[in-house]
Amino acid sequence: MNIRPVRVDDLPGMQACNLQNLPENYTMKYYLYHAMTWPSLSYVAEDPKGRIVGYILAKMDEDGGEEAEPHGHVTSISILRSYRRLGLAKKLMVQSQEAMATIYRASYVSLHVRKSNRAALGLYRDTLGFTVQDIEKKYYADGEDAYAMRLSLKS
Amino acid sequence: MSDIPAARVLPSKESTLFKELLSLYETRQLKKGLKTADQILKKFPKHGETTCMKGLVLTHMGRREEGVELVRKGVQLDLSSHICWHVYGLIHKGEKNYREALKCYTQALRYDKENLNILRDAAQLQTQLRIYDGLVETRYTLLKIRPAMRQHWVALAVAYHLNGNLTEAKKVLEHYESTLKNVPDYDVEHSETTLYHVRLLEDLGEFTEALAMLDVNAKSRAIVDRTAIMEIRARLLAKLGSNEAEHAWRVLVEHNPDCYEYYRGYLSNLGLSLDTTDPSAPQALTVLAEFATQLPRATAPRRLALTIASGSSDDFRALVTPYLLSGLRKGVPSLFSDVKGLYKEEAKQRVIEEVVLAARDTFSVEPPSSSTVSTDVEPTSYLWTLYFLAQHHSYLGRHAQALEVLETALSHTPTLPELHMFKGRVLKRAGDPLGGARCLEDARFLDGQDRFLNTKSAKYRLRGGMVEEASALLGLFTKKDAPSPGADLEDMQSLFYLVEEADAHNRNGNFGPALKKYMAVNKVFDDFEDDQYDFHGYSLRKFTVNIYLNLLTWEDRLRSHPAYVKAALSATRIFVAVHDDPSIGTAATGNGGQLTSAQKKAKQKAKKAAQKLQEDAKKLAAASHTNNDDKGLELSPKDDDPDGTKLLTCTDPLERAANLLKPLTTLAETNIEVWVAMYDVAVRRKKYLQASKSLARAAALDAQHPELHVRRIEFRQTVTSLPEPPQAVGPILAESLSKLLQDEVSLEAFNSQYLQRHATSAPAILAVAKAMVKLQAPRDQVEDTLFTALEAQVTLDIKTALAILAFLGTIKSPREDEFRTRCDEKFVLATVFKSAAELAELRQLAITAPQAVPDKVEDIP
Repeated sequence: MNIRPVRVDDLPGMQACNLQNLPENYTMKYYLYHAMTWPSLSYVAEDPKGRIVGYILAKMDEDGGEEAEPHGHVTSISILRSYRRLGLAKKLMVQSQEAMATIYRASYVSLHVRKSNRAALGLYRDTLGFTVQDIEKKYYADGEDAYAMRLSLKS
Repeated sequence: MSDIPAARVLPSKESTLFKELLSLYETRQLKKGLKTADQILKKFPKHGETTCMKGLVLTHMGRREEGVELVRKGVQLDLSSHICWHVYGLIHKGEKNYREALKCYTQALRYDKENLNILRDAAQLQTQLRIYDGLVETRYTLLKIRPAMRQHWVALAVAYHLNGNLTEAKKVLEHYESTLKNVPDYDVEHSETTLYHVRLLEDLGEFTEALAMLDVNAKSRAIVDRTAIMEIRARLLAKLGSNEAEHAWRVLVEHNPDCYEYYRGYLSNLGLSLDTTDPSAPQALTVLAEFATQLPRATAPRRLALTIASGSSDDFRALVTPYLLSGLRKGVPSLFSDVKGLYKEEAKQRVIEEVVLAARDTFSVEPPSSSTVSTDVEPTSYLWTLYFLAQHHSYLGRHAQALEVLETALSHTPTLPELHMFKGRVLKRAGDPLGGARCLEDARFLDGQDRFLNTKSAKYRLRGGMVEEASALLGLFTKKDAPSPGADLEDMQSLFYLVEEADAHNRNGNFGPALKKYMAVNKVFDDFEDDQYDFHGYSLRKFTVNIYLNLLTWEDRLRSHPAYVKAALSATRIFVAVHDDPSIGTAATGNGGQLTSAQKKAKQKAKKAAQKLQEDAKKLAAASHTNNDDKGLELSPKDDDPDGTKLLTCTDPLERAANLLKPLTTLAETNIEVWVAMYDVAVRRKKYLQASKSLARAAALDAQHPELHVRRIEFRQTVTSLPEPPQAVGPILAESLSKLLQDEVSLEAFNSQYLQRHATSAPAILAVAKAMVKLQAPRDQVEDTLFTALEAQVTLDIKTALAILAFLGTIKSPREDEFRTRCDEKFVLATVFKSAAELAELRQLAITAPQAVPDKVEDIP
């Protein structure tokens, strides 16, 4: 599968991929907001026909004021079930992290995962090297807790 | 100013109050604002600006009707006030009526030429409306007023750019850069602006200058986006024919070894083609082999090599064997869809089949269970090989063989969802959507936490016409507080869901709900179009100009999206049908004597949901009288037509259809269905010239298309039966008509000639039969013609067979059932030709919970 930086015309495919895979969904405006603010942080994986089969939607976290360390945040990452076991998540993550570090000098990247989502937790921890930083109570709209995870970008 | 109209001037107390009102509005203290406005109006009820402000505040509080009325009144009271016009513009903008809003802003600017807020809003409106010459003027004015604002410079450059004046855009940027002092390191905004400058130079064809600028700024770290630097550099060097280009592309490949574009760039720079037949293919293969060795984790060079290698060469076998075996061992589910692009070459197909069959034999060998010798053959490899083979057979139309392989796999391991999923797909393709739905439910049952499986299962239910049952599944993952699963998916802009459910309703003959969902697709695209509005300001403030320009290009081509095309065409067909036979619409409004119990339930549910929504809206409106909540200026549409009945019985179906089709005449102009639909609408609107032009466009795409054939005949009939030819266009019309169908040929002869030419094509046979009906041929002749579709020499697929069956129904043929049973015999695996009673049973079977699945993987055979 082809891994490349996101283009505006990928966003509907990204949105469709997200809706098919994950319970956290967003309207187009939110995808546009990511692309128009941090145009180089999101990546897509596409199949030979040009269909989006995986994506990473990422941003810089600007909470925490001026003196806080700049850090990246993964808003959403997913791969269609039928395109797993190709290492796509890792490949997407690596490209995005590189961009976070070089363009915005991010020192680490963070993400949230549902406590109940064992599969995703496994991916982030074992495959991508994230560690659990904290538990955020009732992070999700339905009241579920989230693990706040982090990966250092300082090598 | 001295010429302030007397009616506007307020005494100092009220004047202070008015200023207060403005600041209360700015901070959205609506209740206080309202009070203040009333205080002024008590003494000066004819004060236009206060009246407008009161209207604006009320609109924000959710009292739109009242509010808008006051704004109109206020404008009338003081026609030369920029505040009044500004407020009126805001109201229009909130209603997304950009054209009217811009008119108001233009008025406002007549009375306050240098108002920054109004100028900024006007610029955004001009961009939204693509009035680029006006935009240049507005941006120029803004820059003149505030030259110290960095974004005003970039904004002007962008305006010139959009207006097609790249040279002027470049000049503005140069001027801007010369004024810059002390740009801090790692300034992302400056980096983006510089990249924009480089892009401008590239677009102007000044590659050397572009490269120089890129290199200087990359070196000084003014440009921080490394990937962008590398990509642009490689592209520019290639365009310049520089011998540094090769290295630049190589750097990119190493940076992201899974990006196909970079390999293509590398190869094409060496003059090597990705085309198999190109004599340079062996050289390209060598290059890719080197990359493959150097980058062991990358799939791209290996996969690209498969495309380039000739299927009849030993190269291909040597390359594809390890590629396939590695995928099968790892259990890569997408392996088949990855390589199926190679099936265009028959030789490659054969080699792949041989390799996979051999792999199956190797992997199926029972591992020595008693011995401790480890084997490198995993039982899952065998399974994934069977999975691949099933897909292979199915792709080549061998449904029975595919199913056989799947049965073997499923008896080996019944717990792999992919196997059930694919079995469902085979059944669906073979005309058994209900069996397909059954399998997908089996798959979903194996992993209820997986939304992917859930979505697929729901999709198959929709394909099987089970709308309610699909909704029940979808609801497992949609928001619990949404009025219905469908409402959440619509809010989340799921085009997939909207189109699939609309199609399901459409096939079920529920045209109201179908139309409703197709129009919801249109609404999603309206929203996508509105979404850009804020970015006309935002992106310039953020200096992310490059992607912003791409946003505008994307927006301009938005409705070329397949979901829009499909929805617009399907909705058009319904609008046309209901125009031809209004009883379709009135039947839907009737008491529903034809409805099944599921449909009745659905209808009731929709009604309830709508009631709830209305009640909520009422509650909200009631609450807004007392609290301070800002409802914003945007319309929140009420849905007073939950099942699309009003849509179906609207008085202007053809005009609505024409509006849906309009964007497609430029965005999907190579789609023949668009021109056929355009014709259908035009001819009914008596726009005969447009109708003939549409048919000419269709003919240019595919002169022998069956749908076009029917319409050639229909069009001649229509035009020749006109009492008198339309005045102005008469001669042109006659000429274009004779181009579509020669004057001297009789319609009957034309029809039978077409049949002779296409006697083995089922869609052509159907088209001829449709034409025969128009030519008033006896029904038994029409039937005889249609039944020839069942003859051995005719290629008949399930879709066409269903269309013929439906057509037999519309002409009330007594042989409809005969055709159905004949199809049922012909399509062995299909269930779509079963009787209603049989179908009801199958439907039940498709949705019952699966038998308990053994949780232990069975022994390997």
